[in-house]
Amino acid sequence: MSYSKSDLKDLYNGKLPWTKIKEIMSQPKDDDRFEKYIEILQERVPWPERILLPLGEHIYIVERNRERIVKCDCGHEFGDYRRNWKLSALVFVRDTREKLEEVYPGVRCPDPRLCEVREFYCPGCGALLKVESVPVGCPIIFDFLPDLDAFYREWLHKPLSGEKEFTDMSHEVTLAWQLKHG
Amino acid sequence: MPKRKGIGDGGRKLRQLLEEKKRLLEESGCYAGITRPHVLRDDPIKTELFHSRIMSALIAGRETCKLISGSPYVREVAELCMGLYTPEGDNIVQSTGIQVHIRLMGDNITWMIENNYEDDVGINDGDLFLANDPVIAGVHAADLYDLLPVFWEGELVAWVCTVIMEMDIGAVSPGCMPTTAVERGADGMKFTCEKIGWNDRIRRDFEIRIELGLDLADLFLLDRKGAVAANIRVREEVKNVIREFGLDYFKKASGELIEEERRNQIARIKQRTVPGRYHDVVPFEIYMASVPTSWLPAKKDTLRLIPIRMDILPEGRVVLDFDGIGEWGWHPFNPTPKALWGALSISVVQTLSYDGRGNLGSLLPFEIVQPRVDSLFNPSQIKKLATGNPWPSMIDVFSLWCGMLGTSFYMRGFREETFNYVSGSGWELAGYDQYGNKRPMMAGGPGCFGAGATGVCDGVDTGGWVATPETDVGNWEVWELFVPEMFMSRMLEPYSVGYGKYRSGLSMPTMEMLHRLTIGIGSGAIGCAHDRIIPNLGLFGGYPGGKRNTFMVRYHNFQELIDKRLPLIHEIGHPREFLNYKYADILNLPHIPPTIEVRDKDLLISDNGSAGGLGDPIDRDPALQKADLDNSLTTEEITRNVYCIEADYDEKARQWRIDEQATRKLREAKRKERLSRGMPVEQWWQKARQRLLDKDLDPLLTEMYGSSMKLSENFTREFKDFWGLPSDFAF
Repeated sequence: MSYSKSDLKDLYNGKLPWTKIKEIMSQPKDDDRFEKYIEILQERVPWPERILLPLGEHIYIVERNRERIVKCDCGHEFGDYRRNWKLSALVFVRDTREKLEEVYPGVRCPDPRLCEVREFYCPGCGALLKVESVPVGCPIIFDFLPDLDAFYREWLHKPLSGEKEFTDMSHEVTLAWQLKHG
Repeated sequence: MPKRKGIGDGGRKLRQLLEEKKRLLEESGCYAGITRPHVLRDDPIKTELFHSRIMSALIAGRETCKLISGSPYVREVAELCMGLYTPEGDNIVQSTGIQVHIRLMGDNITWMIENNYEDDVGINDGDLFLANDPVIAGVHAADLYDLLPVFWEGELVAWVCTVIMEMDIGAVSPGCMPTTAVERGADGMKFTCEKIGWNDRIRRDFEIRIELGLDLADLFLLDRKGAVAANIRVREEVKNVIREFGLDYFKKASGELIEEERRNQIARIKQRTVPGRYHDVVPFEIYMASVPTSWLPAKKDTLRLIPIRMDILPEGRVVLDFDGIGEWGWHPFNPTPKALWGALSISVVQTLSYDGRGNLGSLLPFEIVQPRVDSLFNPSQIKKLATGNPWPSMIDVFSLWCGMLGTSFYMRGFREETFNYVSGSGWELAGYDQYGNKRPMMAGGPGCFGAGATGVCDGVDTGGWVATPETDVGNWEVWELFVPEMFMSRMLEPYSVGYGKYRSGLSMPTMEMLHRLTIGIGSGAIGCAHDRIIPNLGLFGGYPGGKRNTFMVRYHNFQELIDKRLPLIHEIGHPREFLNYKYADILNLPHIPPTIEVRDKDLLISDNGSAGGLGDPIDRDPALQKADLDNSLTTEEITRNVYCIEADYDEKARQWRIDEQATRKLREAKRKERLSRGMPVEQWWQKARQRLLDKDLDPLLTEMYGSSMKLSENFTREFKDFWGLPSDFAF
């Protein structure tokens, strides 16, 4: 089972009709999907670094020299992929009724005493990268830390060079803030 | 007393077989120690014949049950499912339907074996067993498991099981999922793998107990008869299969179906996901202060945080951990650890194992870390607690889990499989019906939720319900015969949507007007964990759907409205204006409303929000939005404010026009606005941290975080690490 790059481009660009999408969903999955996916994504971005994994509509983990960083398609870089990229983003927090009602008017509005809606933007281009709706006081969620080396080595059988320890390094960021601000 | 021969394979006791199966799995990592499956592979055509014979028997059995049953929950909602199990309780094949119970029905069989039913109670050909106690295995007491052993020449070779959700189990009002039940006794009748008949006949004394014990005894007993008939039908077909394929093949092929599915599941995980660590959180809002209950310590409002961590391991296993979850409480919403497997089962068959081969093997690559003792998911007092309504937290946990898995599919390139879902509340009633009988009345409401967006197109309107293949409650005309009510409208709700480059589907509020009700009460049923906090369902820049609401509308003078032809409520309309309707009092109730009095002509509304959008809304293709405008699935306000698309209505052409140039300007302005109003997270962190140090949070939140800290050192450490709080900090 395999699809042409052209079909996959149409799929990703939202150009396929539902009947065709449903057909793809009902078929056995294609084993070469990831390789073609990365090729298509690589052709879309204006920079040369190798994409290792997409993290969303605009951001990717890329290989730059011997580092692996999170990068926006606009070119903005967020740093090591093992640190939650949200900590390096811009945030706008809807924590009042007025701010929440811009999106959730009237009876659709959550209670700002308990709930806040956090919007994380790319500092480079202003793309909205993630919306978090959480209880007030909840730490920012690190949605996903991939085990990149295991993924490439054991699942794709294409090991990456410069293996990195699979560990969450986000605490380094908040620790530095704590030391800075006391 | 002479030692009895075992009824298992080779004359062994079932307990021996069970222990051996467990040992073989532990030692080999393969189901039943099948390290080199070959029986199915040697003859694939025979395999397909074998599997399809059993599968079609189960589906036919399920249909048989639907024809015998009189309950709209079976006939309209199709809340039933059947499965074939090994003698030890391992699911081999399951029918279509509510596939929550793959493992749970088997857990009841295992419990019977562990409790020596073979010798103490007796397991014989034609014995009928009934179970519904979640303390043994199950989700809530309304799910009844009918279990039938299958014998071949004196040997127990399999079990056939049917699950049906009942509308009356003798629970405190309003019925099968009472929010007022906080103690075990209020749950209604419990059947602890009880033998309710033999020789394929239900005992008469059991029927008498039901006839005297339940308001809806006829429906309950018809369901039992439907389940027994279905089980017998499947049993006889299984015997035909054994006759045709041979017992040895039956046993080996059954084991290999499980082992092959385990291997296939690992292969799917490796093919479609990305290994690593995924996180999310569900805040569970439990409002019990105004719930009428005699156990007064229950009367308080609490929030509980449920952190979700999913580790997809390089070997293809998936580990779910809820470390950091808060404490249990006196309410009917505490799931048991085994119930979590029910919620996982239904999610797994909708996301990974949807090829009709789902069975125990689908779950073997999964591990749920045993939740901390005395947490919401593992109350030590579970035997004293009601377990009538544990779905709300589990539904929201696993709707987010589908989003976590969907994130993984997206990263792997299978964007079309990205998906999450949402739940909401329905109304549950009790009182005197239109025929003058006092009884529980499960009303409409659940279902009709907009599904989450995929990575390649908008979510399916009203398609977000995962529990059954039916996404709503079936034919409302049938429900109108059963419940004293009239359904008032079916209108898609544009403001329910989770906005995004691809939006979620639209939800459809249920509006039911009570009609010919004399005395009645109503309260919430099923429900969801979130109420004042909206669930974290947005993906990659998409927003979660709006707040879900439950309203009770009491018209000031209904007859006058009719006489004067004044408008009744048929839709939510603009959410800012809904409460301004001037001919009625509108109560905006908690999402799982406490029990309140309801009267004839009251309008009950289950206004369900939708799941999550995907991607930045200003990346949305204007052509998609034009189609939504033309189809009245959105409004000009949403189009301009959320999607930054300028559109106007062409009266002559009777369709909307997109102004592309103005749209480009609006979107550019939105990006600039974001860059200007967004602040570095470090700056926001300082302010938020100070708020915590000042303990400037709603008391419900401080109690919630305190409860999680009490149970988990890891949660406490991670919370303090993130916010840079002193080691002696406590709420």
